[in-house]
Amino acid sequence: MKSQELQNVIPGFTHEAFGSQAVFRTSLNALSYPGRPLEMPLDCALPRQGQGAAAALLLGLLDSDTTLWMSPSFRDGDAGPWLRFHTGCKVLEDIRAAQFIWVAYGDSMPQMSSLMLGSDTYPDQSATCIIETQGFETSVEDLVLEGPGIEGKCALKVLGLPDVFIDQWTNNHGIFPRGVDVFLTDATHIVGLPRSTQISRKVKV
Amino acid sequence: MLHKFDNTSTEFTSIRKEWMALLARAPNTLLNDIVGPHIESMQLKWLRRPETGLMMIQARVGGSGERFNLGEVTVTRCALRLGEVSDTSPVGVSYVLGRDHRQAQLAAVADALLQDSEHHGELEVKLLEPVRQFLKQKQTIRQARAQTTKVDFFTVAREASSGEDGDVS
Repeated sequence: MKSQELQNVIPGFTHEAFGSQAVFRTSLNALSYPGRPLEMPLDCALPRQGQGAAAALLLGLLDSDTTLWMSPSFRDGDAGPWLRFHTGCKVLEDIRAAQFIWVAYGDSMPQMSSLMLGSDTYPDQSATCIIETQGFETSVEDLVLEGPGIEGKCALKVLGLPDVFIDQWTNNHGIFPRGVDVFLTDATHIVGLPRSTQISRKVKV
Repeated sequence: MLHKFDNTSTEFTSIRKEWMALLARAPNTLLNDIVGPHIESMQLKWLRRPETGLMMIQARVGGSGERFNLGEVTVTRCALRLGEVSDTSPVGVSYVLGRDHRQAQLAAVADALLQDSEHHGELEVKLLEPVRQFLKQKQTIRQARAQTTKVDFFTVAREASSGEDGDVS
């Protein structure tokens, strides 16, 4: 790490063990109840770039064995050095080799099929995508979610979701058990979308 | 060498490596005496609280040949910032052998203070120079002890060869 980058590093979790456990618990819950917005405990200093919930999630999940790709908005920002300092993760230029993908709000979403998808023998060796959005509404039926962890169907409206997301997600769901898992975030909440979840758009009558 | 330290703070970075190495090996009592008073008067902000872990040490026999894993050592590290978050407040980092959290903290504070031109001169004289002397002395003692085990193989070889010559003739 260059000394100039180190100069701008801010602290991580207030309490490392409790902070990361709380984040991990929230991310487990998010994947157990797909489509349910959960509040992310933000018990850490946050970098200037990126949403708080996404930054805290990565701070909790990454370690020195993991690789991260960040969308262009994060280049030269303080989020990358901050994660590298506290987690020891590697920041990669090549998105195809990254285990975690962090897409800033406003940056174009990478093609999901070009990411690490795992194999039929090792479906766990796939990427996890963290995509920033503008917020969630559960009372509005815009997207309809079905699958394990959802009783019947559930409704979700995601503000600022990239247009290409649903088509890409259908493909992603189609290659099960391979495929990527996604966390959608806003400033304070996360929504887990495991690859087993089926998403369709509510047809407007 | 001292004239280097009188310049702007950017000049320090080139030799930061050297003083961090010195701080890591500084005797605990010296660190405590010189840096201890600063800790009480300064506002510290932890970037990474002192944590103890293992590190693999690699070595080469005789300074050449292939590197191999010699073994693991216990290392304590920490990082902190003096004062408020800004581009000018120095960040101190330390890695020290052993599991003494206080020593790691003192070394990191010293590293941060050394980057500050206000304190650099004072610490250079009061801390770094004594550490250099201490390490030099330790080295001398070690060398002297090793010296006593030295064997002059030349003499032994000559005697052996003359004996062989006798056998042949």
